[in-house]
Amino acid sequence: MAPADPTSTLTGALEDYLETIFLLVRDKGFARVRDIAMAREVKSGSVSPALKRLSEMGLVNYERREYVGLTAEGEREARRVLARHDLLGRFFSEILGMSGEAASREACAMEHSLSAEAMDRLVRFFEFLTICPEMDLHWLEKFHCCTVVQEDVSSCTRVFPGPSKPRVDLREEPKSVTDLVPGREGRIRQVRAQGAVRQRLLDLGLLPEVVVRVERVAPTGDPIWISLQGSHIALRRCEAESVLISEE
Amino acid sequence: MSRELGEEPPSSLRIVRVALAGNPNSGKTSLFNALTGANQHVGNYPGVTVEKRRGTCVRDGVRFEILDLPGSYSLTSYTPEERIAQEEILEGNHDVVVVVVDSNTLNRSLVLLAQVMLTGARPVLSLNMSDEAFRAGQRIDVDKMQVLLGFPVIETVGHRGLGADRLLEAIRKSAITPAERPRVVLGERLDAAILAIRARLGTAVFAPALHGWVAVKLLVGEQAFLDAAERGQEEEAIREALQRRHQIESETGMDISLFVTERFFGFVDGLLKEVVTHRARVDARELSNRIDKVLVNRVVGLPLFALVMFGIFWVTFSVGEAPMGWIEAGFGALGRWVSGWWPDGSSSVIRSLLVDGVIGGVGGVLVFLPNILLLFLGLAFLEDTGYMARAAFLMDRVMHLFGLHGKSFLPMLTGFGCTIPGIMATRTLENERDRLTTMLVLPLIPCGARLPILMLLIPAFFAESWRAPVLWAVYTGGIVLALFLALLLRRSLLRGEDAPFVMELPPYRLPTLRAVVLKMWGRGWLYLRKAGTVILAISLLMWVITAYPKPEQYQVDLEQAAGRLQELDHEQLAAHRAAEDLRYSIAGRLGRTLEPIVAPLGFDWRIVTGMIGAFAAKEVFVAQMGIVYSMGEATNGPETLRAALRRDYPPSVGLALILFLMIGAPCMATVAITRRESGAWKWALLQFGGLTAIAYLVSLVVYQVGRLVS
Repeated sequence: MAPADPTSTLTGALEDYLETIFLLVRDKGFARVRDIAMAREVKSGSVSPALKRLSEMGLVNYERREYVGLTAEGEREARRVLARHDLLGRFFSEILGMSGEAASREACAMEHSLSAEAMDRLVRFFEFLTICPEMDLHWLEKFHCCTVVQEDVSSCTRVFPGPSKPRVDLREEPKSVTDLVPGREGRIRQVRAQGAVRQRLLDLGLLPEVVVRVERVAPTGDPIWISLQGSHIALRRCEAESVLISEE
Repeated sequence: MSRELGEEPPSSLRIVRVALAGNPNSGKTSLFNALTGANQHVGNYPGVTVEKRRGTCVRDGVRFEILDLPGSYSLTSYTPEERIAQEEILEGNHDVVVVVVDSNTLNRSLVLLAQVMLTGARPVLSLNMSDEAFRAGQRIDVDKMQVLLGFPVIETVGHRGLGADRLLEAIRKSAITPAERPRVVLGERLDAAILAIRARLGTAVFAPALHGWVAVKLLVGEQAFLDAAERGQEEEAIREALQRRHQIESETGMDISLFVTERFFGFVDGLLKEVVTHRARVDARELSNRIDKVLVNRVVGLPLFALVMFGIFWVTFSVGEAPMGWIEAGFGALGRWVSGWWPDGSSSVIRSLLVDGVIGGVGGVLVFLPNILLLFLGLAFLEDTGYMARAAFLMDRVMHLFGLHGKSFLPMLTGFGCTIPGIMATRTLENERDRLTTMLVLPLIPCGARLPILMLLIPAFFAESWRAPVLWAVYTGGIVLALFLALLLRRSLLRGEDAPFVMELPPYRLPTLRAVVLKMWGRGWLYLRKAGTVILAISLLMWVITAYPKPEQYQVDLEQAAGRLQELDHEQLAAHRAAEDLRYSIAGRLGRTLEPIVAPLGFDWRIVTGMIGAFAAKEVFVAQMGIVYSMGEATNGPETLRAALRRDYPPSVGLALILFLMIGAPCMATVAITRRESGAWKWALLQFGGLTAIAYLVSLVVYQVGRLVS
């Protein structure tokens, strides 16, 4: 089974740390314990326990030397936090007209407590306000009928940083290649594997929109045999499960 | 085309260095064979066990030095193969990099070409297996492709050597053409990002020609490149890369590795749209699919696999038996002939060194050669037909339970015949950890040389009705222990993510005899040359410690002179003297020194001396025990030796001894070959020490429990 969603146990303070590391790495190219302490205005000693927690959650690499790096998962998480922060800050400053610093402070206070749903609504609302600028008395009505405001979430993520890990998929149970019976085909939606396995799968041509077909399954049931665009590939179920598809 | 005009420098280049890059199964090695013929040699890359093939060929006064890079799907550095391919292309200083692609899977294989183009190398493209693609109806406008790419594109059929001459000509021309950076169009976003990062790169760490590739690597955040850039104070480029990365990720909603990979595929798609005039109409795998319906069938797939394995096994050890006999006889004759240079009964040191040390030692190595060559012939055949990939597909589940890989199965099976070819056969495993694990536990599979030991000891200590079950238990125990030790290793020392079992299944192909034989010979030669030198050195050492020092006077002579011993014939006398020699030698003394250590197992110095012999080769144990008991095998059959053993040791010692010899102290050839194949003494010593420790513990428990019970 997939590991528990790290966000569920991520406290506000830890989210702040992620954000700090992310920004340090982005702007300076690296993040050291003392840089983090300085940026967060705390003592170096209190940074370590937080990093340890984050490392246990698989979000940061905190073993080598004093340099701290984000894992792919951690980076995604950090970018999510940052996107929220950014959005809230702009909401407070651009829409509600607060000063930059105050807006940022408000955003900091608020960002950890917003639920995903509330955030989503806010994104849409903000989008509406910035993209559909003709304001008149019926603006609330307009908000509900403006073409930008639709169920397609990807239009939000295009405006705000953060990879569009398809929340779309959550609406229906995602299917993987392993759900196909031999002889059936599916179109790849996403390759969820990480690191070396992911790169190998991508290199072999398992890219979104490519059609794969399950040819056969080994007698013992484990490796499965798939074909795509003329090449045939064997892969174990645990890797195949990370290849999400929609059945043709 | 027009570029060729006006550039015919008077063969200024005498040596052209060429690297062959390509996907696994792209027919790269066949092409390499076609180009170089027998002028090749196989080695390992330093530190890793990836095969390194080099070869040369001479055409029109130009010497082509060709390096066959390990097959890889891309130039990322996740696997050792990919890392080496990348390093060789970036730093290998080759004049030309030939990218070999399978014409049947162009949309995937050309990605590697695009990556090579970015590295600033001078590429030449070989559209290999073009006959298969042609038959399937695919047509490519090669001229247009050359114009678009800006370098030569040659259609080849590697295993039949078609197009090899034109390829060499293209390589030669390419090598003397001033390097022109080929254009790789990867889409507006990525191209802009690469350009921006390049603009910030200095020339201190990365040569300008590499900048395109370095930019891509910094963009995707590959650690090795980031570290190098950091050391070279390329902070600006790093920052630019990070910013570009965030920009791309937020704009496209894709993570960077997916985005970049997709762009490479996009480039290939665009290229193919221009140059493929007719797409394949026929499924080139039609026949393969039909064969697979049987060979990989859910019901008969596994039994058929067992049959194929048995076939290989049988050929290796039954057909190999006759030539093994010839080699043994030949060395025996050689030994006697050399022996004849000295007068009968001479105790010349040189004679003993030549006959027992050199001829015996070299003979001991060469005697395995028929087995090894036959096995490698079989393996090469299975690999080249494409069945090996199916075998791994079939066996992966079972082997995976023990932390091994589908392909580990074959080396282990081979180990029943002899551990040496088994360890050599681990070359078919691509993952280093899988390979080491398999190699380290292989000596636990009871090899053929342990059979004589069992034949001596089991009847000596077990009643008739117990013999077969004990033999069976010893064999089964070996396999079970090997598998569990493998699991243990994968959970401790060789822990790490399971190598992903993501493997391409090529269509079945009929291999050419030439390719199979070259492959067999390449690996066989490696065994002879490398292992031969180490084994020879160890056999000489073994000879010294079992032969020296010699006693000045023999006890048996003194006893006879004093009349305390009955009259002995010549052979009996020689046997007694040999026993005294052994007792007096370093090995004998070592045995007596080590006696206290093995005493808890119920062993004495005589057994230790036998074990020192077993280190030379397992079956030597039998002969050595014969000498210790002053019985030449010629005069007394094994029955008397068995009787002597039964008289001197209780059954618990017998069982402990059998287990110790089965589990512990692999023979010196195993140690040497493990050192050779793992690339480090530490693994060979770990194998030797670890197995011996386990053997010690097991024997200790068996003996002590046995003593308590009786």
